[in-house]
Amino acid sequence: MNILSRDIPGKSTLLMGNEAIARGAIEAGVQVCSAYPGNPSSEIIGSLSQVAEELGIYVEWSVNEKVAVEVAAGASYAGLRGLTAMKQNGINVASDFLLNLNLTGSKGGMVVVVCDDPSALSSSNEEDSRIYAKLGDLPPLEPSTPKEAYEMTRWAFDLSEELKLPCLLRSVTRLSHARGNVEFGPLLKERPRPRFDTSRPSIPLPTSITHKALHDKLKKCKALFEKSGFNLYRGPERPELLVVTAGPGWLYVLETLMNMGVENRVGIVKLGTTWPLPRLFLLEHLKKVYHILFVEEVDPFLENNIKEFCAEEAGHLGLKTFLGKASGDLPDIGEINPDIVTEAIQKILKISYQPRPLQYVQKATEAASLYAPSRELGFCAGCPHRATFWSLKNALAMDGRDGIVLGDIGCYALGSQSAGFNQLKTVHAMGSGVGLANGLGQLERFGLGQPVLTVCGDSTFYHAAIPALINAQYNRSNFLMLILDNSTTAMTGFQPHPGTGKTAMGSESPVIDIETLCKALGVQVRVKNPFDVQDTIETIYELLQNREGAKVLVLKQECALVRAKRQKALYKVWVNRDRCAGKECGCNRLCTRIFKCPGLVWDPVTGRGKIDEAICTGCGTCADICPQSAIVKETT
Amino acid sequence: MDNKGFQALEASVIKKDLCTFCGACLSLCPYMQSWKGKWVKLDNCDLAEGRCFAYCPRTKVDLENLHWEAFGQSYSNLEMGLFKKVKMARASSPALRKKAQTAGVVSTLMGFALKERFINGAVLTQRASDHVPSGSVVRNPDKILSCAGSSYVAGPTLEALNRGPWEDKERIGIVGTPCQVLALRKMKGSPLKKTSQIDRVSLIIGLFCTWALTYDAFMKYLKNKVNGGRIRKLDITPPPERLLKVTTNDDRILDVSLDEIRPFIRTSCGVCLDMTSEFSDLSVGTVEGVEGWSTVIIRSDLGEEIFSRAEAAGRIESRPLPEENFKHLKEASLLKKKRALLKLKERGELEDGYLTLSSELIGRILSEVKEAE
Repeated sequence: MNILSRDIPGKSTLLMGNEAIARGAIEAGVQVCSAYPGNPSSEIIGSLSQVAEELGIYVEWSVNEKVAVEVAAGASYAGLRGLTAMKQNGINVASDFLLNLNLTGSKGGMVVVVCDDPSALSSSNEEDSRIYAKLGDLPPLEPSTPKEAYEMTRWAFDLSEELKLPCLLRSVTRLSHARGNVEFGPLLKERPRPRFDTSRPSIPLPTSITHKALHDKLKKCKALFEKSGFNLYRGPERPELLVVTAGPGWLYVLETLMNMGVENRVGIVKLGTTWPLPRLFLLEHLKKVYHILFVEEVDPFLENNIKEFCAEEAGHLGLKTFLGKASGDLPDIGEINPDIVTEAIQKILKISYQPRPLQYVQKATEAASLYAPSRELGFCAGCPHRATFWSLKNALAMDGRDGIVLGDIGCYALGSQSAGFNQLKTVHAMGSGVGLANGLGQLERFGLGQPVLTVCGDSTFYHAAIPALINAQYNRSNFLMLILDNSTTAMTGFQPHPGTGKTAMGSESPVIDIETLCKALGVQVRVKNPFDVQDTIETIYELLQNREGAKVLVLKQECALVRAKRQKALYKVWVNRDRCAGKECGCNRLCTRIFKCPGLVWDPVTGRGKIDEAICTGCGTCADICPQSAIVKETT
Repeated sequence: MDNKGFQALEASVIKKDLCTFCGACLSLCPYMQSWKGKWVKLDNCDLAEGRCFAYCPRTKVDLENLHWEAFGQSYSNLEMGLFKKVKMARASSPALRKKAQTAGVVSTLMGFALKERFINGAVLTQRASDHVPSGSVVRNPDKILSCAGSSYVAGPTLEALNRGPWEDKERIGIVGTPCQVLALRKMKGSPLKKTSQIDRVSLIIGLFCTWALTYDAFMKYLKNKVNGGRIRKLDITPPPERLLKVTTNDDRILDVSLDEIRPFIRTSCGVCLDMTSEFSDLSVGTVEGVEGWSTVIIRSDLGEEIFSRAEAAGRIESRPLPEENFKHLKEASLLKKKRALLKLKERGELEDGYLTLSSELIGRILSEVKEAE
């Protein structure tokens, strides 16, 4: 039995931040949960989907974040508690609905979890989602630890119901994926029966009423936040420096002050409710100092809001010196960590502090170079995307018109790097590859001589590519769209999507077939197996010569990791060392130097390539590209 | 440049638009290929030494050295290389002559060499229905005619030699243009020949060539010209007419002035010093000859043997080449050399280009030839 669904009040359990959020929602009696997967948020709905059936709640992987928020809002309107989770890009997709929903408000507790990815560790962009809190007057809660994530999620439902407004919960990668102890509370047994009150329509007009109502809700929220235990002060009565922080910054600051031994000199204001500001609480503590340092991740959200607040309260607070992103004391982009905080505080307090021996970094780098092989980001062994990009590269070289390949979001975004032979020239948002192709595909009339291509994954296709494809078909934009159908949402952890025939809760559902859908739009569609390299190259080439409208080539081959779990290797692959030409003219290590599947290794001793049998998934593609036919594939 | 591999080939030949598209570098490795009449780079190769660079007729060509290697003597016959005899010839079979471009001599000699087992396979140039030329291996003498005729478009014939596959001990005859014949000569002398098929090559029939065209641009132009019709045959008539006659599938004949197709001539042809395939066993072409006859330059003992045996077998008819025609041939050949040298000079590549030739010989070529036309 999954620990998350157990009714074991008082039990202290080590949970990942995202699991803590899930447990908080379960205890709060959430009944409808929805999300489109996206790191670092994916485990929230992922873990809820595993306990959905036994808890009698509904969990779905929605087709995109906007739909996911609408699903949760639907539940809220019927009086149920709903939760949706997304990464920072997701709130952009959902924002159109969110910025209407704020005006109509919600009924059953509704929580929108947004997990930001500072430094874009697994994202295409870096973005601070808290801006939506201010933009939409939606209160955000910012947990610092898994324990707080759990507690805040549970409270966020109550808060939402009290305010009749969806609540945001902002996490970041290092919280979502860190683990900490969480003391469980009881599971809520009572579940309301859903009912939509048709006598009270939810319509954001007239805004003269709804916008005013929203601001009133925010005033009420402010009063609640003044009393919140998630905001606290820690430090001496008269500190030399006050650090204002939120999220994991709290832990970084604690660690820094402790290591430096300056806990008696520096105070910390830790905010858990970051908008609207708890003004009285802040007044009390900001009074104490002249120097204020802001430690937060991505944008100067607290920094700017508190500066504004200090200007308004200048009569009470007097002059302050603000330190943080604007002053250059902390970097204005990327993740922060204890080292960064240490450097800033050291400078401000004029203390010389050496967190580790001077040669540490050098020694660590040397040690790493000795024992860790140097690796670039790459596709997994047997990944169909490698074969696809290989064919794409060759077809474009043969075409010779300097074709433009527009990328999209998924594992295949690595196509912009050497893993995909540097084929992708743009990567933006979900579905933007085909959107951009719409634009470039209209430019032949002005003399653009380059063919336009775009690649898009199966999950991305359902998420946001379909409207752009309809646009292309109707407005006769000329491009070739490759749909890399690996039958899963691979990059975020193999979540099902409408092409897989499975739902989040494991039940079967009729597949929405990409080929049939495209054909219904009237788009010219071909379906090929990317492991058949020659056929794929020729098909891409042929489709590129057709300059009439949008063409779709579905390259269908299951993700190697999913396949490996289900069935044994397609082929046993081995290298005939007598035939292998190694570094000689005629080969020059094509397989390990250019193709670079991790299942292939260069053996410097024999000067020949070989198969790493532990890694090889037996797709057989390398046997087809070996110029010497030295790589042999045998049907297993 | 230290690199004498793919990167050097790219820098000194491809990027300078000097590729002749002979095919000598193709089907040796996975980094380049031919596709629809053009040379295509697929990936980078960083080897310091490669066969692609070594065999290319537009990388280092030291004519003096090559002559010593090939003939054991100095490069002295400036006009059209070393030769034993020059004749006029044609195939005896009128049916064969009708199918061939001019006189059927090349097809007849190759077919004869196959039949008499001088060679086991012939590497020829085949043209697909879309006129894309490619190398083709013919082992049956009756199939030779499928490769007869010309489209004046450069094709990667030597790719077929590299690609094979060849059986043990198979001997090969090749029909090639001067750049292809030069590449074969470079292969023969290359220290990198170990893994090539060059030692199988026993007979080289060279073609006369003044220039060749780039497939893409030329075909685009022609398609436009014939208004979507299909082209069956292309023929350039000898002076004084000098017209490209385009025969379509529905038997229309269009006359195109050569001036119109000059823009499609490969840049590399402009720096070529060889009109008559000087490193062949035997060269065949038409230069202001008598209609229906080809000029044949016999250079090697093997060339002489095959020619005389084919004649003795009644497959070939020959006549002495009239003195006037011989004079024209030498003038035309020398004129090509002079123009190539001037072009190299204009490109700033006379001293530091692909060609190594003593300043004395350069001086002689430039002074001996007078513009004939």
